[in-house]
Amino acid sequence: MTAAGAPDPDEALVARVGRGDPAAAQMLVSRKLPRMLALAARMLGDKGEAEDVAQEAMLKAWKQAPVWKPGVAKFDTWLHRVALNLCYDRLRRRREQPMATPPEQVDTGPAPDRGLMAADTGRRVGMALAALPERQREAVVLCHYQELGNIEAASLMEISVEALESLLSRGRRALRVALADLAQGGKL
Amino acid sequence: MTKTRFEALAQAYGGDVTRWPEVERDAALRLLAAQPRLARTVLAPALTLDMALDALPAPAADADLRARVLAAAPKARAATPWRRWIAGAGVGLTLASACAAGVAVVASAARPSADDRRADAVLIDASVDVPAADPSAQDQT
Repeated sequence: MTAAGAPDPDEALVARVGRGDPAAAQMLVSRKLPRMLALAARMLGDKGEAEDVAQEAMLKAWKQAPVWKPGVAKFDTWLHRVALNLCYDRLRRRREQPMATPPEQVDTGPAPDRGLMAADTGRRVGMALAALPERQREAVVLCHYQELGNIEAASLMEISVEALESLLSRGRRALRVALADLAQGGKL
Repeated sequence: MTKTRFEALAQAYGGDVTRWPEVERDAALRLLAAQPRLARTVLAPALTLDMALDALPAPAADADLRARVLAAAPKARAATPWRRWIAGAGVGLTLASACAAGVAVVASAARPSADDRRADAVLIDASVDVPAADPSAQDQT
């Protein structure tokens, strides 16, 4: 159980990882690496940077596992904070050293199940998300894509639930405006 | 729940009521049952945006990335004869105490980065109501 009273679904697995159990490490990678990769990709809009962030976050998880104290916070929440810190480091560096070329847009490669129209919609959404102010993007990514609860997301962002809702509302409004032509064209 | 609050929740959390804050879901569903047109006027537009957002896929973690991460995972330490001898002689306890003291000195001298302090803050926030917990010992990475 965490301090908030909710059980941590990762607690037992992290303990096994800390003891050097290779099967547990594989399972934690399966559970968390895609999640951290998705978080970073949507925050940064760049697949290569997202992979670096996800890898670095997992390396911090390996260091944390042997000394992890159950009951203080959920491991997933802590890992999100680590990955978000890494994302903000990179966003800060981008502001300080503007790049000659924009970051490569997230491209998941060939996907025969998705048609060209869906791929185009995905690209448009990626661009609209990248155009949001960072805090609005973070709120949308945490709540919509990472499916965190409002209390957990607000705690991660160190803001009130009311402030989170304000960021979400403004972010979603901006996204709706940016993607309005897709809805009108029946592409959604 | 008022209609205004219902609209605000849809604006913030989207058109799927099951993803709204748990404490407000029942009231929202009651309002929806009483005013079913809210499904069309409020939820449907929000769901349209939800679907658009879902069109942005996440990249897959490829085998190389998994392998790089797994290569650094903690390894179980094999029980070597000399380690068993030390443990048996009771010297292990002495060494462990000395190491713990050393770690404490190093930890107190270390200056964690601002980012690490923010990650620690997650743990500290979560432990406010748990006096027995020691969040300062959680992350020294």
